[in-house]
Amino acid sequence: MDKNTIIEVRHLQKFFGTNKVLNDINFSVNRGDVTCIIGSSGSGKSTLLRCINLFEQPTAGEIFVHGINIVNTKKPNEYRKKVGMVFQSFNLFNNMNVLKNCTIGPRTVLKVSKQEAEARAKKYLAMVGMAEYVNARPAQLSGGQKQRVAIARALAMEPEVLLFDEPTSALDPEMVGEVLSVMTSLAQKGLTMVVVTHEMGFARDIATKVVFMDAGIIEEEGTPQQIFTNPQKQRTREFLSRVL
Amino acid sequence: MDLFKNIGEIISKYYIWLLEGVGYTLLVSLISTIIGLIIGILIGIYRTLPAPKNKFLRVLKKIGDVILSVYIEVFRGTPMMVQAMVIFWGFALLNDGKTLNVIFSGMLIVSINTGAYMAEIVRGGIISVDKGQTEGAAAIGMTHFQTMMRVVLPQALRNIMPSVANEFVINIKDTSVLNVIGFTELFFQAKSIVSSNLLTFETYLLVAAIYFVLTFTITRILRLIEKKMDGDKNYVVLGSQNMDANAYAREKNIGGGKQNG
Ligand SMILES: Nc1ncnc2c1ncn2[C@@H]1O[C@H](COP(=O)(O)OP(=O)(O)OP(=O)(O)O)[C@@H](O)[C@H]1O
Ligand SMILES: [Mg+2]
Repeated sequence: MDKNTIIEVRHLQKFFGTNKVLNDINFSVNRGDVTCIIGSSGSGKSTLLRCINLFEQPTAGEIFVHGINIVNTKKPNEYRKKVGMVFQSFNLFNNMNVLKNCTIGPRTVLKVSKQEAEARAKKYLAMVGMAEYVNARPAQLSGGQKQRVAIARALAMEPEVLLFDEPTSALDPEMVGEVLSVMTSLAQKGLTMVVVTHEMGFARDIATKVVFMDAGIIEEEGTPQQIFTNPQKQRTREFLSRVL
Repeated sequence: MDLFKNIGEIISKYYIWLLEGVGYTLLVSLISTIIGLIIGILIGIYRTLPAPKNKFLRVLKKIGDVILSVYIEVFRGTPMMVQAMVIFWGFALLNDGKTLNVIFSGMLIVSINTGAYMAEIVRGGIISVDKGQTEGAAAIGMTHFQTMMRVVLPQALRNIMPSVANEFVINIKDTSVLNVIGFTELFFQAKSIVSSNLLTFETYLLVAAIYFVLTFTITRILRLIEKKMDGDKNYVVLGSQNMDANAYAREKNIGGGKQNG
């Protein structure tokens, strides 16, 4: 295995009851990759991300992280230190201000000192343009600001991979840009990202790899160039003609 | 008028008794509300524990769940006055007629009774916290316990503050049933006063007024505390200008603007 490979998913299957939602998913995430997962609603994109960070228990298959299969790990929280997640609905902690939202992970999970945690939080809040808002509570922020704080909270854990599940889908159109520009700058800094998105512009311009999912399988994957300008599969072409 | 004169006389003659009654009423209702809340929180934590993977532990947890439901149902489904008699005299029966200290018994009974109600209140509070909060915590690697202590319970407790305050007020009134075991709370003192001055109406009217003043003031105080807990309505934006990510991106020249294709 390539030593740059961080995560390798092999033959992943997921059933909800008798409903097969993921079928034989194989793909890998290499250091520095920006993988965009696209596909129509219900195709299993969120389920795949949630299996990768073990929010959902895969029904079959393996997920190797640096060569170790973590599917049956007893301590998923240990693994999640290294694989962060940004949600469509932000999920900031409502009982904490912006600074606390970003220090709580490093403090309680990584056990770093208070000063170190605050320094980190401020560094990443500055990176997302939210340094001035350390005292605000989530309820006092706009959607775009909340999502930028949520990204800073995930970054403060200094994860190896950051998963995004439709990070801009809950936002008003005028706020989508501010979140995408933060994500763009992270991609350019070399952060490894897996992004489920309906923002085709972002996938085309920023992704290093695009994965098209359809009905629980990876129908096609390739560079943005290959997928967007020269798709091989009929289903991919149909999907792209609908969304572009 | 005779009424006011009589009430004035009751106050001047029996104020020590009345104060003692008020003191015990407040003491037992405050302590029992707090202990009841702690019982409720512990039960709430236990009930939301993720199902253990180990079969034996899973059965054990189920048994615990059943015992807790029985406790909650029984104490919510019977009058506290009856509970007081059963516990107080039950203890005496088991200990050759030696009764438990009355003050301790009173606190024990009201605490256990309140705990049964608090368990349901806390459960409601925990359920009312958005599931996204738990996922947000899990996503940064927090354990179930850390998530409960840092994220879920603080929000649940804030949400149930009005119900907890309500329980406290109910306890101030309902501790009057402890007179049946001879606990010298306010109602018991009133009974004693009446038996010596025979001014039944005046005495109970006065006691009613005292109960009302207690519950009314305490309700207001608790509301103030709730407001304090919510913190400032506004926050201070640090630095003079207000940068959004786009402005930031332009300034740092890190690609930007809209990416919509
Ligand atoms: N917890 C669950 N229980 C049962 N079925 C589920 C559950 N979560 C998802 N599903 C089903 O799995 C399928 C894939 O859902 P998923 O959320 O992964 O799709 P998606 O590609 O993310 O769609 P969208 O673009 O709308 O977010 C859907 O048919 C959905 O109904
Ligand atoms: Mg989804």
